Amino acid sequence: MSKVAVDLVKVTKIYPPNIVALEDVSLTVAKGEMVFLTGMSGAGKSTLLKLLCCIETPNKGLVEVLGRDLTKIKPRDLPRLRQKVGMAYQDFKLLPDRTVAQNIGMAMDVAFENFHNIRTRVRELLEKLNLEHKHDTLAAKLSRGEQQRVSIARALANYPTLILADEPTGNLDSTSTGLVMDLLHNYSQAGCTIIIATHDTAIYRKTNHRVIELSWGQIISQGPSTPSQEKP
Amino acid sequence: MKFLVHIIIQTGRNLQKTWTTQLMTLLTVSLSVLIFAFFYLVYTNVVRAGENLGDHLRLTIYLEEEPVAEMQAELKKKINDFNEVESISFTTRQEAFERLATQLGDDREILDDMDPLFLPPSIEIYPRKDLNSLARIKAFSQYLETLPGATKVQYGHGWVERFHYFTKLVRVIVFLSGALLILTTTFMVAYTIRLAVLNRQAELEILRLLGATNNYIRTPFLLEGLLQGLLGSGIGLLALHALFRWIKMLFTGEGIIHLFEFSFFSPATSGMIIMASVLLCTVGSVSSMRKFLRI
Repeated sequence: MSKVAVDLVKVTKIYPPNIVALEDVSLTVAKGEMVFLTGMSGAGKSTLLKLLCCIETPNKGLVEVLGRDLTKIKPRDLPRLRQKVGMAYQDFKLLPDRTVAQNIGMAMDVAFENFHNIRTRVRELLEKLNLEHKHDTLAAKLSRGEQQRVSIARALANYPTLILADEPTGNLDSTSTGLVMDLLHNYSQAGCTIIIATHDTAIYRKTNHRVIELSWGQIISQGPSTPSQEKP
Repeated sequence: MKFLVHIIIQTGRNLQKTWTTQLMTLLTVSLSVLIFAFFYLVYTNVVRAGENLGDHLRLTIYLEEEPVAEMQAELKKKINDFNEVESISFTTRQEAFERLATQLGDDREILDDMDPLFLPPSIEIYPRKDLNSLARIKAFSQYLETLPGATKVQYGHGWVERFHYFTKLVRVIVFLSGALLILTTTFMVAYTIRLAVLNRQAELEILRLLGATNNYIRTPFLLEGLLQGLLGSGIGLLALHALFRWIKMLFTGEGIIHLFEFSFFSPATSGMIIMASVLLCTVGSVSSMRKFLRI
């Protein structure tokens, strides 16, 4: 049984016409590890996450997620893998004409989860993210911060093995940020692998988790959180 | 079971979202089925009426002279050699005269001054029920004209021919309305599914990212097509049944309509029409998905 959740070997991603988003990136994330990806805008954080959930394919290199080589994965095996990977998108990807509960429930729905379990799980997550009063509100009527929390709740709904979060606290106040990070820490302690792309130094400042800094598509530093990585 | 429940809920959501388009498609499918089924019903009834007329078909050969017993046997043999018949009866001049007199009833005195042997002798042939095609009747009639002593053969030639052409015309209309049914159901359903797919592109994209399988995404669209076919053909056939009952009620009583026993489709035929519609709509749905649903 491999102890590696994510393995990238010399991965290069070039967008047309010739925009290098990632260049020869090699990275290994162990199972149960919580990792922060940092770097300025355009550094390649989002591209890296997109490669991990098969939204993008690399031009070169190997991408292995939960023991599956994504460059060789069969289309019919992709849904099962995606059900194990919870992704919170930077642009939320919520359906505006669906309620908060329906948006969160979708992740379990596609896995043909029991309806009772879906209802219970949705209520549990909403409670944890202080959104229980928004259960039947349409996603379109939520503030950006609320939408962000719903997006995170959806990523966590299906008890994923790997959680990818792209700027999960970008629109949140300090209280909500605290709620989200506490929740993610709990998942990490429960054995879940978590990769968070963020600009927000506050969320990793006081932790011992590995912080990987990207710049112009390359990893320039990685290691436990240090004062040098904490930019104001 | 879980899969089915999820799919049904998903289909319900889709239908709710695009109900106006779905309703228009349903009406189009119903109307197409109604038009096709109407002409098919007319055709089946005309064919059945034709078969009934065949039961009463009689060919009469008028002869120059009354045939003697040996000649009668010879003629019977020749007739049966060409086409097996139900029965053959010979009518003498005297019998023909008496039959005419009976038919005239109270006006029989007009025959008083006539020679009782003025009518020609004849042979009446009642063919078997399988002699129901105009071409075969014609061929048989032409053969009978070549029999020794035959002067003329009669079988209601004009009427049979008109009936035959009417049946042919209805058959062409059935084919045309069948083609219309295929085109409208397939294209309309394909168009509706295409609209639904385009309408839900964002949702489908999210479903894919969340790990929805191809079956999870495709089956609701397939079910939509199937439902369109099932409901559309059901409504079309029900409307036709109502129309049929109304027409039957309208023409109850004496008259031409009363000569024939008009009947509706058998449950098997109705089932076949419904199955065909379901199949066509599902094909439309699949073709649209193949073109527009990128999974």
